[in-house]
Amino acid sequence: MAIIEVKNLVKKYKISEKEHGIIGYIKHLFHPKYKEHIAVNNISFSIEEGELVGYIGENGAGKSTTIKMLTGLLTPTSGNVVVNGIIPNEERIKNNKQIGAVLGQKTQLWWDLPVIESFELIKKMYEIPNEQYEKNLKKFTEILDLEDLLDKQVKNLSLGQKMRCEIAATFLHNPKVVYLDEPTIGLDILVKENIRKFIKDINKERKTTVILTTHDLKDIEEVCDRIILIDKGTIIYDGDKENFKNIYGKHTMIEFIVKNKNVNITLETSEEEFEVIDESDKNIKIKFNHDKFTVMDIVKLISNYCEILDIHIQEEGLEEILKEIYRGEIIDD
Amino acid sequence: MIRNIKLYFSFLVASLKRMMEYRVDCIVGMVSQIAFQIIELVFIWIIFQTTDNIADWSFEHLLLLYGVMMLSISVTDLLFDSTYDIGKRLIRKGKFDTILLRPVHPLISVLGESETSTALGYMILSVILIVSMLIKLQVSVTLFLILKILYFGILGGFIIGGIQTIFSITGFWTYKSNEVVWSVFQLHKLAEYPIEIYNKFIRILITIILPFAFASYYPTLDYLGLNESNLIFIVPLIVIVIWIIAINVWNWALKKYRSTGS
Repeated sequence: MAIIEVKNLVKKYKISEKEHGIIGYIKHLFHPKYKEHIAVNNISFSIEEGELVGYIGENGAGKSTTIKMLTGLLTPTSGNVVVNGIIPNEERIKNNKQIGAVLGQKTQLWWDLPVIESFELIKKMYEIPNEQYEKNLKKFTEILDLEDLLDKQVKNLSLGQKMRCEIAATFLHNPKVVYLDEPTIGLDILVKENIRKFIKDINKERKTTVILTTHDLKDIEEVCDRIILIDKGTIIYDGDKENFKNIYGKHTMIEFIVKNKNVNITLETSEEEFEVIDESDKNIKIKFNHDKFTVMDIVKLISNYCEILDIHIQEEGLEEILKEIYRGEIIDD
Repeated sequence: MIRNIKLYFSFLVASLKRMMEYRVDCIVGMVSQIAFQIIELVFIWIIFQTTDNIADWSFEHLLLLYGVMMLSISVTDLLFDSTYDIGKRLIRKGKFDTILLRPVHPLISVLGESETSTALGYMILSVILIVSMLIKLQVSVTLFLILKILYFGILGGFIIGGIQTIFSITGFWTYKSNEVVWSVFQLHKLAEYPIEIYNKFIRILITIILPFAFASYYPTLDYLGLNESNLIFIVPLIVIVIWIIAINVWNWALKKYRSTGS
């Protein structure tokens, strides 16, 4: 049975409609007008135990609203959510025991207490058995390198140190499902790597299901196997990460190191199919649609203009693909 | 239930530790509260320059009543202070979401955040007032009386804290102001005077609707030997009723809050 089952989930918000200016605000005060906004529009998916899912979409696409409904923070307008047999919205506290969550910059640690005291409070809250607590603490301290941080007050930690502690706090009670909403925002590369490795390790060891929303697609590339892409409240892709690239990644980047180049490169075709991204005396960078051209086509073409010294081919990454999707180049609605 | 109460005290201990971190804040808060209270006492003293009693209560009686109320307030401050401004402090900043994600009733988490440096100031001053006035009024201070003072002091704190908690739910909708809680809380000042001086409406208000008088006036009567009713049983009953209302009102507000989202 799936650990997370979402069926026909809808969330509508009432948002106030104000006219501009102070008069508009005063009018609104006495005679408020509301307009309905559909944040999540009839989405369904199911997630198996142990899956690492990247839940992605633009700002305002409905990601956070979905996560809030999954965690029981928000009551759905209609539709069902079941997490490990529990309806989060109805049995919130029971559900809270089996999940963990990092919500962006909002900390679950006690701001002016040493980190270890927050951990102790979490231990009490979740009734974590001594043995498990000690074991986890030792392990997390090692992987996330928390040794020197435990006795420091949270307010004195840097953003990266704080997030490492936050992640540890989230996993202390061996949650079945973990929601990570923007866990790597604003962190440096080393900390990001550290956190990604931690998530993968724990997932492997305990089959913890992880749902990750992030704007850093490197997180998804390295951690997740599955992608759910939401746009304007609707799911537009749900499936394997590699498959996603095959379907939507229509472009290949190719970079040439050349010499004896003297004319500019032109080709009578649309930008969608062939685009010179960068061009200098020694360097040519081209993006092309690999359904229209083969790499050999491009190599032949370039060799007409100059002498090729080196070639570097790169498949399109998630980030480029998503940019195209968001711009409406691939999927129209 | 027992688990929740245990957790509440764990949170409270954490809050006290946090408070200790800010020693200067702590001392300044305490001293300024004592100064503030002394100014209020000066006002009472000024009133008694023109008259020698208010509804048959002398200056000493009134100071005793004031001290009894202050003891209750100090308990409220110590245990329940944090519901005072949940809108501004927790909900507007989104911090409430992390509280909702804990496997504990949110009210326990919120109440456990109380960190007030004023409680100690109030407590010291109230003890000084109560003891000195009892001696001055020649009431014999027995062990039983001391236990009663503690008992009614704690329960009085629960009464005022409960009323405050009920009205704190306005914070779910008024993110920037806590005027409602503040205004209701300020009504406790009415119960710093003998209720004989008020008309029927105010008497009903502070004994039945918002029973602040049970945190000050009635216990004071009891200490002075002027009370015939069975206060020892009535007051805990009032506490229970208030807190049942508070918990239900909170659950209702939580449900509302979660259906609209932030």
